[in-house]
Amino acid sequence: MKLSINWLKEYIDPKLTTDELIERLTMAGLEVEAVEAVGADTVLEIEVTPNRPDCLNILGLAREIGAITGKAVKNPRGIVHKPAILNDLVSIENKKDCSRYIGTLIREAQIKDAPVVMKQQLASLGLKAIHNAVDITNFVMMETGQPMHVFDYDKLAGGKIIVRRAQEGERIVTLDGVERKLDPSILVIADRHNPVAIAGIMGGLETQITAQTKNILLESAHFDMGLIRRACRTLGLRSDSSYRFERNVNFEGVLTGANRATDLLLSLTGGKLSGRGEVLSKVQGSAESIKVKISDIEALLGVEVTPLKVKTWLSKLGFKVTASSGNLMVTAPDNRADVEQDVDVIEEIARMIGFDRLPSKLPVIKMNNIPVDKRPREIKSQIRRVLTAGGLDETITHNMINTKALVKSGLADIPVLRIFNPLNQDQELMRPAILPSLMQVALTNINRGQKDLRLFEIGKIYSKEKEKEVLGILLTGRRAQDWRSSKKDLVDIFDLKGLLERLFQKVDIHATYENVDMPVFDPVAACSVSVDGKLMGVFGKLSRKVLNNWDIKNQDIYFARLHLEEIFSKPHRLIKYRAISEFPAIVRDVSLAVKKEITYQKVEEVCLQHGENVLRSVQFIEQYLGDKIQAGYKGLVFSCQYQSNDKTLREEEVSAVHERLVQALIQELSAIRR
Amino acid sequence: MQWNFQDIQEQARAETQTLDNLQALEAYRLKYLGKKGLVAAIFASLGSAPPDQKAAIGKGANDLRAIVEGLIDERSATIGAAKTVEERLDVSLPGTGESLGHVHILTQTMQEIIDVFEQMGFVTVDTPEIETEFHNFTGLNIPIDHPSRDAFDTFYLDAEDASARGRRLLLRSHTSPGQVRIMKQHQPPLAVIVPGRVYRPDAVDASHSFMFHQIEGLLVDEKVQFSELKGLLSEFCRRFFGPQVIMRFRPHFFPFTEPSAEVDINAEILGIQRKKWLEILGCGMVNPKVFEAVGYPKGKYKGFAFGMGVERMAMLKYGINDIRLFYENDVRFLKQF
Repeated sequence: MKLSINWLKEYIDPKLTTDELIERLTMAGLEVEAVEAVGADTVLEIEVTPNRPDCLNILGLAREIGAITGKAVKNPRGIVHKPAILNDLVSIENKKDCSRYIGTLIREAQIKDAPVVMKQQLASLGLKAIHNAVDITNFVMMETGQPMHVFDYDKLAGGKIIVRRAQEGERIVTLDGVERKLDPSILVIADRHNPVAIAGIMGGLETQITAQTKNILLESAHFDMGLIRRACRTLGLRSDSSYRFERNVNFEGVLTGANRATDLLLSLTGGKLSGRGEVLSKVQGSAESIKVKISDIEALLGVEVTPLKVKTWLSKLGFKVTASSGNLMVTAPDNRADVEQDVDVIEEIARMIGFDRLPSKLPVIKMNNIPVDKRPREIKSQIRRVLTAGGLDETITHNMINTKALVKSGLADIPVLRIFNPLNQDQELMRPAILPSLMQVALTNINRGQKDLRLFEIGKIYSKEKEKEVLGILLTGRRAQDWRSSKKDLVDIFDLKGLLERLFQKVDIHATYENVDMPVFDPVAACSVSVDGKLMGVFGKLSRKVLNNWDIKNQDIYFARLHLEEIFSKPHRLIKYRAISEFPAIVRDVSLAVKKEITYQKVEEVCLQHGENVLRSVQFIEQYLGDKIQAGYKGLVFSCQYQSNDKTLREEEVSAVHERLVQALIQELSAIRR
Repeated sequence: MQWNFQDIQEQARAETQTLDNLQALEAYRLKYLGKKGLVAAIFASLGSAPPDQKAAIGKGANDLRAIVEGLIDERSATIGAAKTVEERLDVSLPGTGESLGHVHILTQTMQEIIDVFEQMGFVTVDTPEIETEFHNFTGLNIPIDHPSRDAFDTFYLDAEDASARGRRLLLRSHTSPGQVRIMKQHQPPLAVIVPGRVYRPDAVDASHSFMFHQIEGLLVDEKVQFSELKGLLSEFCRRFFGPQVIMRFRPHFFPFTEPSAEVDINAEILGIQRKKWLEILGCGMVNPKVFEAVGYPKGKYKGFAFGMGVERMAMLKYGINDIRLFYENDVRFLKQF
């Protein structure tokens, strides 16, 4: 809402500088968002919250300023003309849609320019002057908050106003020249045949006032706020009128506005008051009063008040207050429909005291708070610690993506949760996987010359009605460089596995790894991760096809994804101390050749089965894949550590066990000694 | 035999000038201190010396030995230093190993905020992003077709709400539905914060994003005052921005709180010149209509709630001028924090 200081001064002189006024308004809840000089005038742009439609006009703001400053408000000229009653002029189909309609007929009006002062006032609020009749309706709307409309009465078929729902298929050309399709969800003002205005939103072109107009029908009405709001949305059309109607106008203001506009029309168009037709759903009784306890005010605000002080504050805002033994009966002014409960009244009291002048103290927070599962947050911060220690940077990406990104990532078939009203096609669905997001980050960085990337994200993926937390890791480019060695190593799948192993160690999980075939990965380097036989994630080298789809040419990318919910739900295991052996360990190295398809994991398993209670651990040393070994075989070197908790093992004892272990490998896995 | 100790001493001093390696130094030592060296010769001459000179000769020999030893130590230190300099490692060369990675600045900021409230006794609760109309709107006293919804444009999903036939599920437009969920499930006293992602169909620019993060706070008990809300948030701001922070509480409107306020902080303190006051959060006393919606007995409880944007807090604290930087993940951005 724009507030012209010059216009404001017609009703109140706050005796404040502009800066002071801005400060006072802002601290009363009417935040001044911008200040603009318009000629010699200053115009404030005020953010009026949806609960305060009474401040969507200059007079309303003047009253508010009056309440804050204690200065008197001078109401505009209120001459009430006594029109003849025209019973047949207005009819309302359903008074729920329109609770009050006043049609005032003025004859022999002369349409010309409005006075310069009025045109300037309208211009200061950004309204274009048209001619006296329309300018008066805009003026009164801005002054009192009551939106109005004027019709050329002679163009209304049957000389009647009917407030009704539009019929299916009806159309109207509105004042902006656009033809609009109507339907029964939309309330219209109609003459005997056709809609002549969309109620509360915009008038029709056909019945607008022109220079030739002689007889004017002035509309002042109250329409249902929800109905106007829905119609605006259906039509994609909003106006200064609809803005006020959907926030609710004052039932009493319908008449005040009609009288003010009638007075102005008579004096500025030289017309004669012919008569008035009014239909209304109720006679406004006295508004309901609200009981407010002094003790409740003190309990909510933490400040001591007296009935007298409260009465003074509220009276300034136009509230009627009667006090008796610690209770107040408060009646809000008719334009304050937002005040419904005692807390609403207490807020007004707080505003009058000033929020900044209310006391400030720390609350008491009780120990018996609600129970919360802390595991997920703890595990996520452990993951962050492990991965950042491993040199990875955390990313946070948008989780709305498009189908294209899924197709490019080889995930075209995955079911998705679509957004019904996406902002644009780039964000049409909630990601069902984290790979596309990390690929986008990789691509952005690679295109900017940053090709060595170690990234991870802890984020959500979505399916119908479900959201799940996952971890995604992406590695590409060179490994951390050691200037002492001349090797410039590229990352590979074992860097990724190493990170996962450290992670699992941290969160106390024992995982098993197996080769896997998935279209996203190069089948040579793809691995599944399972815990207790349950698939928890996969990792590997992305297939050339995926990289080509993303236009990544000269580097390999390694990617891992892991479901976190399973880790979250795993009960925490308390670590108990195990005694450290006092006796020395004996280490024996083993060098074997085994068939290529035999995994190291299998070799290790066989060793552990034949450890005879003295094999403490098996340590992998190296793998040999060169040509100095027979075709189809690979070389494996590892060491076995023997130790007992009860005694010092003798060399011969260990040698015997070790020999039996090697024999087992030879027999069970057809291993060959090297 | 006559000894001119002064000359001998001077010569011994002069000779050290040319000693620039360990072999030369050793030859020098032998010349003076060796078994056949000068000091030994002087002592040997004592036997044939006149009795009245013996003391002087003995002292001369001892002095010479002390001087030569001193000179050798001095010279040896100089020669050793030169050798060390030659062999010394250039310790300015970088250390090796994987450099540290970085936790995203939004995660860090969110954790900072959570830590402050957890230290005060709040607990952190995560509630879903996929929400119902009831949790996101109706339960929070935001009716359908009401202008108070204007502030909450919302993404709807292609999925039906099983709890309300014909209504779609939506992506929460604020973290406040967490209030409704928690209160439906738990009885007071409660002091909780709900962090998380929220979604609004806003066109993207330097200060707007269709997805961002919020942290919601809720405290409910039998006696809770607006003054305590002020006290708590003032303390939070001091801990988060530093003790010099200046803030103000300004009346505002939220359908789910009454009275409602927005909190501004003085931007000059943060070194921002653009505007004097910057809005950082919204808050208020829980509206009794919300307590009614969650089924709390009428009039029994009071509470306050607050909500803040994590991106905004991070931008103000760390001087980040474009919200898009957070989600673009350029490693030159990530590695700064």
